[in-house]
Amino acid sequence: MTNKNDKNASLAPTVFTNGYEFTQGTGYKLPEFEFVPPPELAQHSNDALVRHPIVIVGGGLAGLTLACCMARLGVKAVLLDEDNTVGVKGASSRGICYTQKSLEIFHKLGIYEAIAAKGTQWSVGRTFAGDDEVYSFDLSQQGLNNLSAQPSFINIQQFYVEAFLAFRALELGHVDLRWLSRVTAFAQNDDCATLTVETPQGAYQIEADHVIDATGTHTPFHAWVGATMQTKKGDDRWCIADVRFTERPPTERHTWIEAPFNENRAVWQHKMADEVWRLDYQMAPNADPAYVSREDVVRERLQRQFGEGVEIEIVWVGPYAYRSICLDRLRVGRVFFMGDTAKVVSPFGARGGNTGVSDADNLSWKLAAVLRGQAPSALLESYNEERLQAAQENVLVTNRTARFLRGPEGMERTFRSAAISLAKQFPFARPLINTGRMAVANTYTRSGVCAASGGFSVPNVPIWWDATGRHKGTLNDLLRWCEGRLLLLVFGRIPAMDLPRLQAISMRYPVRVVQVVATTESAPPAKSAPSASIVVEHVYDPQGHLRLATQTQTGRWALVRPDAYQVGAGRGGPQWRGQLVSMVEMAMGSQT
Amino acid sequence: MKTTPQWTDADGFYEQLLDAHHGLSPEESQALNARLILLLANQIGDAKVLSECVAAAAESPRATG
Repeated sequence: MTNKNDKNASLAPTVFTNGYEFTQGTGYKLPEFEFVPPPELAQHSNDALVRHPIVIVGGGLAGLTLACCMARLGVKAVLLDEDNTVGVKGASSRGICYTQKSLEIFHKLGIYEAIAAKGTQWSVGRTFAGDDEVYSFDLSQQGLNNLSAQPSFINIQQFYVEAFLAFRALELGHVDLRWLSRVTAFAQNDDCATLTVETPQGAYQIEADHVIDATGTHTPFHAWVGATMQTKKGDDRWCIADVRFTERPPTERHTWIEAPFNENRAVWQHKMADEVWRLDYQMAPNADPAYVSREDVVRERLQRQFGEGVEIEIVWVGPYAYRSICLDRLRVGRVFFMGDTAKVVSPFGARGGNTGVSDADNLSWKLAAVLRGQAPSALLESYNEERLQAAQENVLVTNRTARFLRGPEGMERTFRSAAISLAKQFPFARPLINTGRMAVANTYTRSGVCAASGGFSVPNVPIWWDATGRHKGTLNDLLRWCEGRLLLLVFGRIPAMDLPRLQAISMRYPVRVVQVVATTESAPPAKSAPSASIVVEHVYDPQGHLRLATQTQTGRWALVRPDAYQVGAGRGGPQWRGQLVSMVEMAMGSQT
Repeated sequence: MKTTPQWTDADGFYEQLLDAHHGLSPEESQALNARLILLLANQIGDAKVLSECVAAAAESPRATG
């Protein structure tokens, strides 16, 4: 399998073996998928090539999320993965930390419950320097986080999420997951893309309208399409130890900027599924990866932190270095780059894999809308606008963290020491302490398909189906019901004369309308005419959280996309219909 | 960024600054300066003003002779 690990980008001049080949302790047995010979293998060389609308290359976190998104939308796609399992063979873990936005997407896909049951929820983080706590935070108390049905974070080994996605995609159908299928050549022209695929039973070629490269950091597609990028090398070395204990540390995220038990270098401590803790130790810049990951050296390091009496089972050890890469464009011709092929970041703040999950969610509904003829192909260009902004922001933010943490010299050390000492003394200096700015759903301010009153992610707010609250749901239920269409939320009373107009809009455009009623409002739900009953549904928003989440306290309506991003909001008045139609057309890429 | 005098006691501040550095090693002085810069920066707070101050300080002509 191509390396899909954002933390493991090998960095010259240190030649790393893939850290995940180095496994000690018990490790994990990963599920294996069978190679099924595709029909193309049986074709004769002079037969016309089979053309697929969507070919996803790479079955890691981003690729499998996209496959699952397409499956849920009922759109056919082929996924090619060169391995026959999830995760990297012999590796127990890569990413561990999933954001609220990712969890909301997984909820929409139907695998959230499995993740929540297996993983570890957390929201409290504590940062230490020396023997002192510098500051702590509780993410569940911040911003709009508490409006969502999903928690701030769940930690879980990445291969679990990938396995849930793969099994869910198989269950939903529509998507053809082809294992042990390595893409070895690629070409594209005005008509289509052509891929050569090698399998255990020989090679074959297929054509594709849209190719999504989710193969990870060592992608061959960058060279194949001539992608250009901005690269920044790091000089920081880390070594992960995933372990089990007899005595358990707390579930909180603990970070040490200067850990006395690690030669005053940084240490991360985080719990994930199966009672496994991730301990991530910053190494000296010239550290030898082979030496620092040797079992006796790892054990000694662990003992320095936890004492001699604690029994420790090592599940997995992996040294890594990182760099940052950001493509200049996330689309070149028919090829879309997502996840680690779009950008590579250091692991700080969980901005690697989570960004890939949102990349997939963003692209999936646009591909579906274009393939169904609901939107012009211009809509696909907005993937580049929106997700490039997200990639650039995440690269910028993680580079700043990396600079703070990497064991600075000279004045950088002087300022860091000043910031740490002040942070222990005064609250004002705590925002300077940068042990990772935890990932959030990136906001789109440069998008041609979002208005100024949109571009942000609407949390998965709980709603009531009836006035008593006996039957509850969430925003995701409404998005699922829209099946890839836009969701128009109309707050409060809908005048009778507006009903046929809303109906006309939802007939003409890919829009479904939901009336949002507060239980305190005396206005009853719209009594829609029988013919309009499938067009206007209503839900209850007892505490006004949907209004809060869509930032429409005074507005009349909000337009939400299938990826839960808001297109924009509007007021009532005589202009509402013109505004709404214009915004719908903008959202679908008809005005670009 | 303000470039006209805002001081209530310029001489007093200058004296206190020099006194604070008196007897310190270069490293200790650097540490004090760094702490002071961060404390003062938070008094200003505003990102645009701070950015202009950093740029102005960086552009300051080097002392000659």
